[in-house]
Amino acid sequence: MKLLVRARAWEPWRRMIDALSARPHLRIALLAVVPIAWVLFANLAPLAQMGAISFMARYPLPPGMEIEWTAANYLAFAERPLYFNAYIRSFVFASLVTLLTLLVVFPVAWYVAKVAPRSVRLRFLLILIAPFWVSEIVRSVAWILVLSNRGAMNVTLMALGVIEAPLPMLYTNVSLTVGVLYVTALYMLLPLYAAFEKINDELIQAAADLGAGPMARLRRIILPLARDGIVTGCTLVFLLAIGLFALPQLLGGPDNTLFAATIGAVFAKADDAWPLGAAQSVILIVGALGWVGAFALLVPRIRTRSA
Amino acid sequence: MKRELLLPLWFWLFVAYLFVPLGIMALMGFRDGNFVAFPIQTWTSQWYLGIVEDADLIASLTVSGQVAIYSTAMALAIGLPLGMFVARLRGLWRAVLMVAVILPAFLPVIVSAIALRMFMGNVGLSPGIAAMSLGHAIGSVPFVVFMVLTRIGAMGPNLANAARDLGADEAIVFVRITLPFLAPALVGAFLFCVLLSFEDFARSFFLGGFDSTFPVLIFARLRFGFDPGVAAASTVVLVASMAIGLLAESYVRQRGLRA
Repeated sequence: MKLLVRARAWEPWRRMIDALSARPHLRIALLAVVPIAWVLFANLAPLAQMGAISFMARYPLPPGMEIEWTAANYLAFAERPLYFNAYIRSFVFASLVTLLTLLVVFPVAWYVAKVAPRSVRLRFLLILIAPFWVSEIVRSVAWILVLSNRGAMNVTLMALGVIEAPLPMLYTNVSLTVGVLYVTALYMLLPLYAAFEKINDELIQAAADLGAGPMARLRRIILPLARDGIVTGCTLVFLLAIGLFALPQLLGGPDNTLFAATIGAVFAKADDAWPLGAAQSVILIVGALGWVGAFALLVPRIRTRSA
Repeated sequence: MKRELLLPLWFWLFVAYLFVPLGIMALMGFRDGNFVAFPIQTWTSQWYLGIVEDADLIASLTVSGQVAIYSTAMALAIGLPLGMFVARLRGLWRAVLMVAVILPAFLPVIVSAIALRMFMGNVGLSPGIAAMSLGHAIGSVPFVVFMVLTRIGAMGPNLANAARDLGADEAIVFVRITLPFLAPALVGAFLFCVLLSFEDFARSFFLGGFDSTFPVLIFARLRFGFDPGVAAASTVVLVASMAIGLLAESYVRQRGLRA
C-alpha cells in the first residue's frame, strides 16, 4: 500500500495515473483492451477457424499446397446414414432426457423451494448440489458398479429372489438415461429453484381459496410464473445432453452411438479428417442452438398484469 | 398414502438416487479381489492404501492439479477486468459483449473441445499441459465474470467516488477499494474454477496429448477393464471435490453473494 503512495514520487507513474484519473474514457478504453482481445481470441477465433476449416478439402495443409474450398464435408453428412442417424438419435435422445429431467426434478425443486421447512432449505439445497462437484467420469464409475451384471442392483435383486439371472442393465438405453439424468439434474434444479422461490405464496393461497384445485393451480399460477426458469433449465440441460461425450461411451451400448461420439471418433482416426469433424461440429451447433431458440420462442409467454 | 408425504418421499428418493451409487463406489474400494463384483465377501484396505504407489495415478493427479492452478490463475486474471468492463457498459453493447463472453458456457462441450483442438496449433501450443490450461481457462472465464458482476452490482460507484474525492488515484482506488470488495467473489470463483478444471473431461481429452488428467486416466481404465482400485481412487477424489465445493459454497454464501 505504501508502495503505491511512494510510487507517486516517480514522475512517469504519477503522470500515467493522473492522466487515467482525469479521463474516465481513457480508463474504460484501457480496461477494455484485455476483455475484447480475450473474447476475440479465445471465444470467437476458434469458432471462426472451425467454420473455415469445415469448407476445406484438407487441413492441416501439407506444405506448399493451396487451400481448396469444398462443400463435400457437409454433403457427407447428408449422404452417410451413419452420421445422419446418429444426429437424429442425439436430438431425440437429448429432448427426451430434457423432458424426463424436468419431470423428475420439478417436484424436488418445488419441495425444497416451497414445502420444506424454511430452516433446512439451504441445507437441503447443498445436499442436492454436492454430488455435482464430482467429475462426470467418477459418477460413471459409480453407475457402472451399480448396474453391471454383478453390480449392486442385480446382486440385490437376485438375493431378494426377484430375478433368477442378472438383467442386462449396463450398456443399454436404461443405463444411459439413468446416468445422463444424474449429470443433467443440477442444471434443471437451480433455475427451477430460483423461479419457484420468487413465486408469492399468497397467490397460490388465493387461488386455492377461490376454489382452484392442485392441477388448476399448477397450470394457471405456477407454470406461467416459473416459465423463464423452466425454459432456462431445459435449454441448459438440452445443450449439456447433446454435447455429452464420455458418459454415453461408458454407459451406453454400441448400437446407440450419439453424434458427439461420432464427431469425437473423426478426430481419433489416424488419417486427418479435421474438416469433416469441423463440418459436423458446425451442423451440431446450428441444429442445437436453433432447436433451443425455437423452443424458447414457442413456449407461451405470460402477459403479466402489474400487481 | 397421505398426499402430504408424497413430495418429501420423492425428495428423499432423489437424494438416495444421488448418493447411494457413490456409497456403493466407496464400498467397492474395499473389496478384496481383482474384479469389481458384488457381493463383497472379504474386505481389504489395500486399494485405498495402494493409491500412493500407483505411479500413473499420481502422475495424472499432478497433471490435473497443475492444469487446475494454471487455468484458474488465467481465468481470474482475465475474468476480473472482463467483469469490471462489462459492469461499465449499458444497453446493446453490454448485451452483445455478454453473449460473446458466455458463449463457451453454452456451446456443446464437444464442439468447444474440438474447435480448441484445431485452434491450439495456430498459437503454437501442441497438446499438453499448457494447451489444457488455456482450454480450461476459456471454459472458466464466463463463471468468473458472472461472480464478479454479481458482486460489483452490490457495490455501486459511491465507494470508489468517495475515495477519489479524498485524493486517491486510480491505482489506489483499485487496490484499496475495488479489490477488497471483490475479494469474496474472487475466492469463490477461484475454488469453483479449480473444480471446473478438475472435473473437465472433453477438453482434457482432446487437448491433453500424452499428459492425462485424472478423469482421462480413469476413462481409459474403465474402457480396458478395471479393478477395485479405480473405485478407491475415484472415492478419494470424490471426497476431495465435495470438500472444496462445500468450502466454496460456504464462502460465497456467508458473504451474501448468491442472489
